[in-house]
Amino acid sequence: MDTLGPPSLYFREVCRTAGPTGMDLWQLLLTLALASSNDAFSQSEEPSGKPQYTKCRSPELETFSCYWTDDIYHGAKSPIKLLYKKRTDEEWKECPDYVSAGENSCYFNSSYTSIWTPYCIKLRNISHELEKRCFTVDEIVQPDPPIGLNWTLLNTSLTAIHADIQVRWGPPPNADVQKGWILLEYELQYKEINDTQWKKMELVRSTSVPVYSLRLDREYEIRVRSRQRTSEKFGEFSEILYVTFPQMSPVSECEEKINDFRFPWFLIIIFGILGLTVVLFVFILSKQQRIKLLILPPVPVPKIKGIDPDLLKKGKLEEVNTILASHDSYKPQFYNDDSWVEFIELDIDDPDEKAEESDTDRLLSSERQKSLNYLGAKDDDSGRTSCYEPDILETDLSAPASCDSTSDIAHSQRLPGTADLFCLEPKNEASPSTTPPPSGGLLSEGGQPRPLLPNGMESSSLAVHAHLSNQSSLANIDFYAQVSDITPAGSVVLSPGQKSKAGISQCDGHREASPCRGNFILDNTYFCEADAKKCVSVAPHAEPEPRTEPRFSPEDVYITTESLTTTAGSSGIAGGPSGAEMPVPDYTSIHIVQSPQGLVLNATALPVPDKEFLTSCGYVSTDQLNKIMP
Amino acid sequence: MCPKGSSVKGSLLLLLLMSSQLLSRSVESLPICPSGAVNCQVSLSDLFDRAVMLSHYIHSLSSEMFNEFDERYAQGRGFITKAINSCHTSSLSTPEDKEQAQQIRHEDLLNLVLRVLRSWNEPLYHLVTEVRSMQEAPDTILLKAMEIEEQNKRLLEGMEKIVGQVHPGDRENEVYSVWSGLPSLQMADEDTRLFAFYNLLHCLRRDSHKIDNYLKLLKCRLIHDSNC
Repeated sequence: MDTLGPPSLYFREVCRTAGPTGMDLWQLLLTLALASSNDAFSQSEEPSGKPQYTKCRSPELETFSCYWTDDIYHGAKSPIKLLYKKRTDEEWKECPDYVSAGENSCYFNSSYTSIWTPYCIKLRNISHELEKRCFTVDEIVQPDPPIGLNWTLLNTSLTAIHADIQVRWGPPPNADVQKGWILLEYELQYKEINDTQWKKMELVRSTSVPVYSLRLDREYEIRVRSRQRTSEKFGEFSEILYVTFPQMSPVSECEEKINDFRFPWFLIIIFGILGLTVVLFVFILSKQQRIKLLILPPVPVPKIKGIDPDLLKKGKLEEVNTILASHDSYKPQFYNDDSWVEFIELDIDDPDEKAEESDTDRLLSSERQKSLNYLGAKDDDSGRTSCYEPDILETDLSAPASCDSTSDIAHSQRLPGTADLFCLEPKNEASPSTTPPPSGGLLSEGGQPRPLLPNGMESSSLAVHAHLSNQSSLANIDFYAQVSDITPAGSVVLSPGQKSKAGISQCDGHREASPCRGNFILDNTYFCEADAKKCVSVAPHAEPEPRTEPRFSPEDVYITTESLTTTAGSSGIAGGPSGAEMPVPDYTSIHIVQSPQGLVLNATALPVPDKEFLTSCGYVSTDQLNKIMP
Repeated sequence: MCPKGSSVKGSLLLLLLMSSQLLSRSVESLPICPSGAVNCQVSLSDLFDRAVMLSHYIHSLSSEMFNEFDERYAQGRGFITKAINSCHTSSLSTPEDKEQAQQIRHEDLLNLVLRVLRSWNEPLYHLVTEVRSMQEAPDTILLKAMEIEEQNKRLLEGMEKIVGQVHPGDRENEVYSVWSGLPSLQMADEDTRLFAFYNLLHCLRRDSHKIDNYLKLLKCRLIHDSNC
């Protein structure tokens, strides 16, 4: 009737429609859906007696119970039987106890319970039989709730706002934890009375746990539940424990308000930032150089220590020379691998490095071990040395005096006035600094030609910090090479620093009075090819011919990179430099290796028509310049 | 169902996570006795503590492994409703409830534990091998299987030490149940094979829980005098 009403209505509607159009189809589907739902609904009203499994549960691993629901709405309840079977049984048996666990339940006491044995149960009534369910008792452990919750005050905060309490409880009574048959862990949850969300605490294995930082003016609720340690399912929650603190004095309320007053961190931060910004701006704009430096340090630019590229470009040789002259030599690092890498590595001189022997001796000696020395003072990479600190220049200028004393042997032949230019030693060093650089590199030459002393071997006393790479990079044309010595004859001694390289030609074992007027420091002195040529008028074997013209035998001075490997003794000139007219390239290749300790540099740049010394490298000392210039 | 084709990265990450998880949870692997010590007498209490720790760990691992396997492979196959085959250790007459466990002597119980542990040596070894060869071998399950195998050996050693201390001289022959489930693990038919795995993992979980319980019971009885 009524139940049939709606469906029949729908059906009638459906029948009225003509053919199955799209809309009709949709309607049909809708109708069917409604009908089926109606059917279901109507069905549930009938006494179907179809039970559902709820769960099976063992509270203490000794007994277990199974529960079901029987959604019989009205009508006679048909009796439901629960049948069970252990794995070892042949037949299904009926539940031993329908009563003890309540309605719709079956209770298996300990005599019926075997812990690790699989059980299967099924529900059956008149009309239906549910599919069986299998389990083992150890899987269905859900302990009872703990009992006997209580709390004690641990301590209160100084401000009497917060307190810590210790909550204690007892394990569920039927769980035999004492004999160790079942081990439990607990979870405590608490919340303020007016809250909706419970706060969970970490699982604990003991039966008491502290709860920290509860407010004294609030009330709290606490509950605990337990589970077997190896399981995942928790049991029911215990009864709720109410925590109420005894009333505090009204004074605390004021304190509370004060404490609640949140420190205005936000404002402080904002004002702090503003203040800092103002101060910064004041500093920056006040053009106080030092403070500005302090706050905004300059970005270091790549540079050679002490050599300002601008100086070179502008041709301010004096400054450059002084810088170079005063630079100390340093023990270069030994780079093994990267032949193509240029380094302008400026290290502090190793005092041990500056052996007591002269450069020449060192050059001559076969114990050339060290790799490059670096000219120049220690570079701390700040960039300021070239830009901001004129100190370097000053110190360089002041350096010379000590050089004389420190240098050995042939340095004495220096021109008096040019001591500093070639004094590339550190002032406090006892000996000339150079250990010859390991391998040949290119001598960097300044762009501009410089006049040369006709007979003085004036080196561009640029302390070229030549980093000659190691042996493998001999053939590499580096940007810089290091002149380690100048013979009295005026030949340039370039030192690759490695014996095997043998790229060092011993221009001259003796420091004789060079026609170039020996105003050179034989160490760390960079000589341009042209200069050297002009200076070297003497064969490197103790030929103190005064040279008055810019003619020189290249063999004394220049070494090719190719012939670097050819060791000493060869006075052969692989490739002559082009002479005085040799243009001054940016770098010079090593042209000839004459002797183990000498290098001939080959200026390989474009020829410069200038016959004067202008074609030489850019590094010429002032005195040289003066001498060169008529 | 099982996601197909996890990327290499994903599985590697999973491996890393799992191993880190396992490492963080693993039982301390320091030997009880420092190497070289001749007369190392560890207290029975310490031995039991370690044994219980190990057995608990093994059980939790096997639980997780079983759950994972269940989720991954056994859904919808109705394994649970099939009659769970008996485990190969069922022949060992272990106490089935608390009363029985309380009545049995602790020496016998210890021996039983030893037997069960020994019986699992071989199945665990084959489990690891076969899991490895599974299609889309799940790394987590494999890791757990390997860990369980390892820890089982350790637990066996520990138990033998305990037995040596509790009643030395009463060394029984090495009795254990033989496992003959290897052929079914290697079946070509996937359903049968998976069910064999399911069974084995279910048995492993059950037996590890048994051992865990027995050891906890023994510990309370012997060390704490039934007053844990």
